[in-house]
Amino acid sequence: MSLLRLILRSLLFYARAHLGTALGTAVAAAVLVGAWVVGDSVRGTLRDLALLRLGRTTHALASGDRLFTAGLAQQLQLGLTQAGALRPGTPPPVAVLQLPAVAVNADGTARAHRVQVLGVEARFWALAPEPPPFGELAADTVVLNEPLAAQLRVQPGDPVLLRVQKPQALSPDAPLAPEEDATVALRLRVQAVVSDAQFGRFSLQASQVAPFNAYVSLTHLQARTAAGPRANLLLVAGPSPLPAPQAVLAGNRAVVAGPLTPDPGRPLDTLLAQRWQLADAQLEWRLLPSARALELRSPRVFLDPPLGEAIFGTGPGDTNALTARLGREMPGVTTTGVLTYFVNELRVGERVTPYSMVTATGPPLAPPDLGEDEILITDWLAEDLGARPGDALTLRYYVVGAMRRLEERAATFRIRGVLPLITPGLDRDLMPDFPGMTDAENCRDWDTGLPIDSTRIRPRDEEYWRAHRGTPKAVIRLSAGQRLWENRFGNLTAVRFTLPAGTGRSAADFERAAQSYRLGLTQHLTRRVPPAALGLRFEPVRDQALAASTQAQDFGQLFLGFSFFLMAAGLLLLAVLFQFSIERRAVELGTLRALGFRTGTIARALLTEGALVAVAGAALGTWGGTGYARALLQGLSTVWREAVGGTPLQYHATPEALAGGAAAAVGAALLTMALALRRYLRLSARQLLAEGGQTEAADAAPGAGAARGPLRWAVACAGGALGLVSTALLKPDLAAAGLFFGAGALVLGAGLAGSAAWLRALGAAASAARLTLPGLGVRSATRQPRRSLAVVGLLACGAFLIASIGVFRLETGRAMWRRGSGTGGFALVAEATQPLVHDLNTPAGRDAYGLTAADLEGVSVVPFRVRDGDDASCLNLNRPQKPRLLGVNPELLAGREAFTFARRASPAASTPPWLALRRGSGGPPDEVPAIGDAASIQWALGRKVGEGIEVTDERGRPFTLRLVGAVANSILQGSLIMDEAEFVRRFPSIAGYRFFLVDAPPERLEAVATTLTRALRDLGVEVTPAARRLAAFNAVQNTYLGTFQVLGGLGLLLGSVGLGVVVLRQVFERRGELALLQAVGFRRRALRVLVLSEHLALLGLGLGLGVLAAALAVAPAVITAGTAVPWTTLGLTLAGIGINGALWTGVAAETALRGALLDALRNE
Amino acid sequence: MLELQEVTKAYPGLAGERPVLAGITLTVERGESLAIVGPSGCGKTTLLNLIGTLDRPTRGRILLEGRDLTTLDEPALAEVRNRAIGFVFQMHHLLPQCTVLENVLVPTLATRNEVLRDGAPERARRLLERVGLGHRLHHRPGRLSGGECQRVAVVRALINEPRLLLADEPTGALDRASAETLAQLLAELNRELDLTLIVVTHSPDLARRLHRTLELRDGVLRQPAGAG
Repeated sequence: MSLLRLILRSLLFYARAHLGTALGTAVAAAVLVGAWVVGDSVRGTLRDLALLRLGRTTHALASGDRLFTAGLAQQLQLGLTQAGALRPGTPPPVAVLQLPAVAVNADGTARAHRVQVLGVEARFWALAPEPPPFGELAADTVVLNEPLAAQLRVQPGDPVLLRVQKPQALSPDAPLAPEEDATVALRLRVQAVVSDAQFGRFSLQASQVAPFNAYVSLTHLQARTAAGPRANLLLVAGPSPLPAPQAVLAGNRAVVAGPLTPDPGRPLDTLLAQRWQLADAQLEWRLLPSARALELRSPRVFLDPPLGEAIFGTGPGDTNALTARLGREMPGVTTTGVLTYFVNELRVGERVTPYSMVTATGPPLAPPDLGEDEILITDWLAEDLGARPGDALTLRYYVVGAMRRLEERAATFRIRGVLPLITPGLDRDLMPDFPGMTDAENCRDWDTGLPIDSTRIRPRDEEYWRAHRGTPKAVIRLSAGQRLWENRFGNLTAVRFTLPAGTGRSAADFERAAQSYRLGLTQHLTRRVPPAALGLRFEPVRDQALAASTQAQDFGQLFLGFSFFLMAAGLLLLAVLFQFSIERRAVELGTLRALGFRTGTIARALLTEGALVAVAGAALGTWGGTGYARALLQGLSTVWREAVGGTPLQYHATPEALAGGAAAAVGAALLTMALALRRYLRLSARQLLAEGGQTEAADAAPGAGAARGPLRWAVACAGGALGLVSTALLKPDLAAAGLFFGAGALVLGAGLAGSAAWLRALGAAASAARLTLPGLGVRSATRQPRRSLAVVGLLACGAFLIASIGVFRLETGRAMWRRGSGTGGFALVAEATQPLVHDLNTPAGRDAYGLTAADLEGVSVVPFRVRDGDDASCLNLNRPQKPRLLGVNPELLAGREAFTFARRASPAASTPPWLALRRGSGGPPDEVPAIGDAASIQWALGRKVGEGIEVTDERGRPFTLRLVGAVANSILQGSLIMDEAEFVRRFPSIAGYRFFLVDAPPERLEAVATTLTRALRDLGVEVTPAARRLAAFNAVQNTYLGTFQVLGGLGLLLGSVGLGVVVLRQVFERRGELALLQAVGFRRRALRVLVLSEHLALLGLGLGLGVLAAALAVAPAVITAGTAVPWTTLGLTLAGIGINGALWTGVAAETALRGALLDALRNE
Repeated sequence: MLELQEVTKAYPGLAGERPVLAGITLTVERGESLAIVGPSGCGKTTLLNLIGTLDRPTRGRILLEGRDLTTLDEPALAEVRNRAIGFVFQMHHLLPQCTVLENVLVPTLATRNEVLRDGAPERARRLLERVGLGHRLHHRPGRLSGGECQRVAVVRALINEPRLLLADEPTGALDRASAETLAQLLAELNRELDLTLIVVTHSPDLARRLHRTLELRDGVLRQPAGAG
């Protein structure tokens, strides 16, 4: 005989009794395993989708509007090959031209916005998970992905029209940007439709939703969009880490070989730093023999500030600046910055010269001592204005504000001197290549995007243009020009490197010498300027994608939460059944104690026995859990598909989830058993032997004082609830919903403690004056107060959760017109594929898009700039790695008092919450305030208000978005919002506005939507009613709540099985007593009333308490105008619970009362 | 062997503490057999439970072989119950899931004395043979008569070779013949094993077979009326 043998004997002997324990554990295991497998499946599906959308791509360089040379891909390939980092069989780096577009089918009946047009070469397909069977695309063909083909309803062979946004060298927001057509239409024939595996899902954004992709020939797209042999996306497949740098001796110098920076983890950035050329940042050299200079300029007009900083330094004494080193390394070379600007007029007294270029520069053209208020004018201008040195000259010029609003400003200078037009260095190359101007034959052909009054242009001006083109007519000091004309794109239009006097005796010699200088200067610049500062930076997209999928919303935890009540019900059932089983064996426990067994030994034996049962139950539950997971996944693919954005989820189960779920269930079961057992282990052998399982009544201390303990708890809980409600009413700033929910939970606690007190008081009460049958029944509930309380507790908690959660369903009702609602009171939301640069709130802006005042009467628009990124809304299952950023003028929202703030970083502030976006002067320089939707912040980003999110700006500089506020349940989900002023500082090259909130009169909502859609069709504008957008977001939360209610309902169903078991047990225990009542003349019907009245009283008490607590919890939601309480659903749910409970009670009572009750009396 | 000094046991009641045993003093010598009789509810079982360490006295001391049991903690008391005392209840309380032999061996699972444990199976067989159940070793209690079950319970009480055997109404649930057999057996075992035996009983027949009989009445032990 051994303890194990005893355990095994008991296990077999009580096998039937153990079924309940096994069942309870199985339910817990099934719930845990099911929930975790759902989590695995979501993560696995997202991982699969991430790998599908990236194929073999591991790193990507996306430069947006900046175009690098297609040769950069070859340079990188060469570098990787030389460094041995390109494994055999790995596809080489691929250059892609990626542009946004709108697609339309042949008859215009189907459109797709936000289409990603990808100009690709044949080798692009080598990156695909399963390369499709075609290579180079013909010029007139297009390959579509399945979603786009479906949206356009086209098949191979069908024609489609793509309206593609042309890459703009000069931002449409920039001064002098032309009004030329920003798009080009491509009429193409569909060659094929590619599946997801064939790279149809290609996208750099972490989203489970497939994009609309159209693949065209790279060379064709380059040609049609005038991009030249350039691209803006570089894809690289898995390079090996580069070898660490080594110092080698070259002659008498130590030279570092290998990567420049010792960061083997970023081999591509290292290689890029070594291999990039100025042309990759759209920089070019121009040789100026007349000025004996080399000029660095860009078709982007303005040179990026990092370039200027690298050349001139960030301040006086910057020894790292190129200018500080040139004197030593290239003696005789002088460097001058140039900023040439277009002015509307140059005026001296009454005489005016219109539309001219003025250059701000330094020596040699401008003398070093040229004052800030001095100006040099050409002899041509002096003559035209009749001006002499000492005269005051006024410049009038435009600066461009937000929404391309032009503001004319003036500055007055004193004429210091007159320059002959033939002055070396005073040439037409000082004018940057303004698109729409440089190539114009005469002034009237200028397309500058500025309002040019052609009547002001005189024949003399035309003559000047023809002879001298953009040669500036005046020169000011560089710092003076930068003060006037610096903008977010830069403060230089060129840098001139004047070569030493005497360089090259002949023109050919000069050219050769200049070539050598050019190479030297190029090397200096490319070494000195990090490519990331010019927007050339590799992102580890594969790592990011995998991180986005692994850090995704944890559906495992979510469903564990949803199934919590089901699991609790399973464990409660286990506890009840295990307790019954222990009650049956109480005498055995007493015997063992009497025979000298220690309490610990008995506990170990019983728990080992229980553990064996639990393991068997968990094994069964694990098997069932996989089925439960499949059922949940089926639910998520059908009725709950909104919760996952319609993504079809694939079943994935990891051994960790299966084993973990089973182990956790066994642990939970053992804990439950230990708790159930604890009470019996506290009893003495005498009590166990004498009273067996009937110990509870003996435990309950007699007397009215027994009710005092629970009563104190009840009063404390009720007091706490009152305190929370008072706080919520007195301080409306606090989260009232949370406080009321807490108060509801405390009321539930108070109710349960009160019930315990009532049961005890009833048990100890003196004889009733008049005994009734139901009264007798209710009094029976006091025999086993713990059991009775467990039943009440289960039902009350279930009813509380289901009733209170039901009211949290989000509805968009009439309240959507209120400014404080989730729509912000806006009627429409518009999103554009291509940016709008004109202000739709002004007549001029409307006119620019062919809209009349009548079209948009009563309409106002709040425009947002957009930095594309990952959707941070609940519709995206991935964890956003680079959230989408919006830039807005905060006053536009503050003035409207739009949206309600759920949380603010400094709630005491009296300023409107939107103005918190304005950066205070004292804040850290690298911190930018941001506001987001509360759900986006909490669930999608996993952050809190007050926390920061690291973001890298366009120039590769990291900064922190400090979350200063969270907007409650709004249409702003998916993005983080920052001040427009900060936005343009951080992302200067992002032009125009692509997201709009539109105020429109309710009665004209449809008409305004139609008008905007029609007028802005070519820009791919999609207009959605704000209420519908909000409803789409709400659908996710509502689906979650629905899921919770369904699974909670299942839990209650299981709980009511427990209720049935308790009734059965109670009645069987009292069969003798009931038989006695029958023997003294009670009819069977009366006995039924007795039994049912006891249990229906418990059922009613449980439901009543739950509903009462829930009513308090949801009070704020119900009181808030416009919140629709789903009374019907709620009523049906509660009625369902009540009926179900009553049914089980009835069935159990009937079963127990069946048969010859009097036999029980004889057995006694 | 056993000494009770002013042992009192009281239970809380509506009108304050209600003493069941009121200052009982008793000495029992080694090998002595004692019957405790008295009317129902007089506290006989309570007294036996106190001696058997299943309950603790409100006041007074209980000394077993000079060791004060009232000062011991629960693990030490478990050890005493396992090694020094054997207990036979009115109901046999055999484990239904175990065979006769296993039931007898159950107490050995709680002992740390390996010698005792190793010799237990042989001792169990011998004792079961002794009580006439040698042929029932592998039967379950469900297949045994009440008298047989009670005899198994007696053997179970003796398996760890206790010096004191306590029996609470051992024949109370038995028919006359079985009761007589069991009474005979207890008397013989007392003699053969030099066992101190204390039996609570209503049965005059059983009491007559023992050395001494005391009556418990009004919370105190006294010589029964009519006893010489």
